[in-house]
Amino acid sequence: MCNVDAKDSSRIDMGRVREIVGEYSENRWPLIPLVQKLQDEMGYIPPESIPVIAGALGLFPSEVQGVISFYTQLYNEPRGKNVVRVCRGTACHVRGGKTILKLVKQELGIEEGETTEDMEYTLETVACIGVCALAPTMVVSNRVYGNMNPKRLRQLFKKDGNRHDG
Amino acid sequence: MQQVTITLNKREISGQAGMTVLNLALEAGVEIPTLCNDPHLTPAGACRLCLVEDEKSGALLVSCVTPISPGMKINTDSPRVVAHRRTIVKLMLASHSDSCVVCDKGNRCRLRQFAADLGIGRIELERIPQPALIREANPYITRDLSKCILCARCIRACQELVVEGVVDYYRRGFKTQPATLGDNPLEKTDCTFCGTCVAVCPTGALMEKDSAYQGTTKTAVMTTCPFCGCGCAVRLEIKGGKAVRALPGKNRMSSRGALCVRGSYGEDFTHSKERLLRPLLRDEGGFREVSWDEALAAAAAGLQQVKDSFGAGSLAVFGSPKCSNEENYLLQMFARTVLGTNNIDNSANLYNAATREGLGASVGFPGTTNHLSALEQANVIMIAGTDPAVSAPQVAYTIKRAVKFKQTRLIVIDPRRTKLASFAQLWLRPKFGTDPVLLNAIARSIIEGGLLDTEFVVRKTDNFEAMHKALEKYTPEYAESITGVSREEIDKAARLYAAAATSVIIFGTGITKQSRGADSVKALANLALLTANIWCRGCGIYAMQKDSNAQGACDMGAIPDFLPGYQHIFNYHIRKKFERHWQKSLPSKQGISAADMFLGAGKDGKIRGMYVVGENPAASWAQTDLVRNALSSLEFLVVQDLFLSETAKLAHVVLPAASFAEKDGTFTNFEGRIGHLRRAVRPAGESLPDWQIILRLAGQLGQPLPFADLQQVMDDIEEFIPLYEGYCHEDGRFDDDWSFWEQRRDSCRQSLSGFARFSAVGFEPEAASGDYPYTLVLQSSLPHFGSGARTGKVSRLRRFLTEPHLLVNPGDAEKLGLTAGARVRIVSPAAALSAVLKTDADLPTGTVSLPASFPEANRLFCLEKKPGAGRASLNVCYVRIERIEHNV
Repeated sequence: MCNVDAKDSSRIDMGRVREIVGEYSENRWPLIPLVQKLQDEMGYIPPESIPVIAGALGLFPSEVQGVISFYTQLYNEPRGKNVVRVCRGTACHVRGGKTILKLVKQELGIEEGETTEDMEYTLETVACIGVCALAPTMVVSNRVYGNMNPKRLRQLFKKDGNRHDG
Repeated sequence: MQQVTITLNKREISGQAGMTVLNLALEAGVEIPTLCNDPHLTPAGACRLCLVEDEKSGALLVSCVTPISPGMKINTDSPRVVAHRRTIVKLMLASHSDSCVVCDKGNRCRLRQFAADLGIGRIELERIPQPALIREANPYITRDLSKCILCARCIRACQELVVEGVVDYYRRGFKTQPATLGDNPLEKTDCTFCGTCVAVCPTGALMEKDSAYQGTTKTAVMTTCPFCGCGCAVRLEIKGGKAVRALPGKNRMSSRGALCVRGSYGEDFTHSKERLLRPLLRDEGGFREVSWDEALAAAAAGLQQVKDSFGAGSLAVFGSPKCSNEENYLLQMFARTVLGTNNIDNSANLYNAATREGLGASVGFPGTTNHLSALEQANVIMIAGTDPAVSAPQVAYTIKRAVKFKQTRLIVIDPRRTKLASFAQLWLRPKFGTDPVLLNAIARSIIEGGLLDTEFVVRKTDNFEAMHKALEKYTPEYAESITGVSREEIDKAARLYAAAATSVIIFGTGITKQSRGADSVKALANLALLTANIWCRGCGIYAMQKDSNAQGACDMGAIPDFLPGYQHIFNYHIRKKFERHWQKSLPSKQGISAADMFLGAGKDGKIRGMYVVGENPAASWAQTDLVRNALSSLEFLVVQDLFLSETAKLAHVVLPAASFAEKDGTFTNFEGRIGHLRRAVRPAGESLPDWQIILRLAGQLGQPLPFADLQQVMDDIEEFIPLYEGYCHEDGRFDDDWSFWEQRRDSCRQSLSGFARFSAVGFEPEAASGDYPYTLVLQSSLPHFGSGARTGKVSRLRRFLTEPHLLVNPGDAEKLGLTAGARVRIVSPAAALSAVLKTDADLPTGTVSLPASFPEANRLFCLEKKPGAGRASLNVCYVRIERIEHNV
């Protein structure tokens, strides 16, 4: 989903932001779809874009920020190319999900909610991804990995560098 | 409207369908505790404290957001409701700071009140850690999130009342807090520090900063803000003989729950250490403090001597739009009957004369024709020559509310980027001083486009043909070449204004201070007449006033050409009527205007003695050097003021006056609405209210005015000024009811031919040229009012005094070979002064600006009119800019 080189997102293409804002500003209730589209393209919603969005939609900037900060799936900060989501659900928990999370943290050297310095990985946890039969589970770049164990985990991060687009 | 009947605490009661349970209970006198509800704000249902029980369904309902429905059986204080309410308050207190004892909110804190009412002391719940206290660097507002209960009153007030939207909820769950964009401190946002959020905060989360601990005050007085022409109701809280706090008055009409930074934080000039406490008398060594008797005797003797030696026509009285109606009424009576001259004027007349003449000639009414809240009923609002966000914040709030919530479209005509320009559908930027050409071009475009209301024009107006003919010249091409506004934009403005069902025009001193201000006002009125946007709901013309009582001072007759109520001085019968009543003869010769007083003062001039009340022309008037010379060359000068102003320093006798908070009286705001002044504190030192001083001075001159107290003056005003009949009774008589404005128009019918009249307005723009190629304008700032005579005495406001930089467009600076930081000389025909240059891309090329709070700037403006002009242009002046070499 995020096919933009994340490293470049520190330089925001405000022209593109305005283009996207322009595409949506005439729609009804455009705010959420608009910020989702922005996030799709840019990997996150640059704070600099908030006044632009607010101006086009006739909202207050603080109002737009309020909406973005309300939803956990909307981000105001740049995120890694691959988002790793480790399941904290009950089934995963009883089958060692906690250890899996600990190992992922060790492997990537980051805490929950953080992004690796090379902008490759962002680590998150989720309450349940709905495939409890495969517990413990995790999702990397929208691909589900079940029956996780330390060995599989190490292979996963070693294997094929950073390509998890499948 | 359909009525709905419900049972409230076993009592049958009915209300209008759609009403909330809470509002119905309030109406019925049943109190329901609530923290987040405010009559000025949309209900949020955030605090849940107002919950009630519906006996029928057993449901607990949040009464502030639950509409009444037939057959409801509401119980507001059943044991179950009270138990829940107690839990809610306990949960709030569990995450609330423990500092009630030292919290300045004291007994005003609503949370503390409800906790006490419910008998909650210790809380058995585990406490939730507090978020960090955030200190802000601004001098007005401090925020302590550990006391925030997330009721969103501040958020709603900011969005719905003042329409700034600086704060909103941020994050969610336990992390929720109100925050600015990027959680920046307020001073780094668009916040104007109007103080509305502080006034609505039910706890100590938002508090006034930099005030010593005041706690609970026992008395509060409802009075009227003394600054701009909005005349907001202000509630002054009094402790220890001092006004310690100013809050928006509860009066719904004239402050609507919001003030501005001046109203909220500027009222303490009353307690400034610089106040004059005793009368001063000049002798060889300078000023000497004297008793009132000695000072009044000296003042009377001096005025009498000038009158005896040079005649009554050599005396002049200068009244003030900062003084009350009663004081201005007394002052004009003093000038006319005691001194025997019509040489009386006030500084508001400088711009008000244009409004009176322009609107009087076209619509037959000498002022604003509709009330403030009618702006929210208009489809289109056109603003010309004024920036209400600075000069009349309450008007700006109303305009922004109309645009944001009522889909009103806004046309801003202003060369400068004003705050309202960002709310505008269309922003026209004519070159300075060319607005009349633009207005004529819009009028022509309306006629050409067939957008005029033919029936209204034919049946209700005259002189259309003459005006139409005069408009021929104002083709879009011509207008574009003069004003710089493209023909497309002119046509767009014409379509927008004329095609809407109801349109409003708002204008201010940018129009009326022009040399031919009255003609510009007529040009504006032509637009309203062409489209029948006058004398109906959501229509009208609004004249902004600069000072709190600008309208009133002129209404009271503190002007050289009219008796009170604009009754003509030359009319024998009117004069006789006043003479009979006052039992004095009145001078029939027209008096001279303030500008002419100064131009004609001094050794060889006509004016030899002056009595200046509540004004500081030696600092705030155009061509200050000339004014100052004129004043210092007078044989005799009496000045009555709060402070030892630049003018007072030139006086022979200085009389200390009481401030707005120390006296009773009334102000008339720009709408014509009456605001009452009520004495809140004792006058400082020995100072006296202006009206008392005038009465005593008249007595000293051996010609006492026939009034024993203020009420008798008010009775006189009621009797003699048609618009003021019954005015002194109570606040809010002039409510937002349309019938009042109908009456108002009818009371002026005598001066109306029954027709509104078009005026043919030709206009040749003055232009900067030759020796003085740049147009200088003064830029007002929100915290500072006028030349800052009062706001400059308030320490909190003073921190916002801008450095007197000369702002120049970057292109112009380059042309001049100057960079930011360079020291330059600004030279006008009147004077020269130096300032540091700064560039500002928002200024149009050819225009430079200085802050209005920098009184020196007034020196550059010319009071002398150009040959052929009606009077001097006071909104712009033409200058050249010279570099100052470092070693000179």
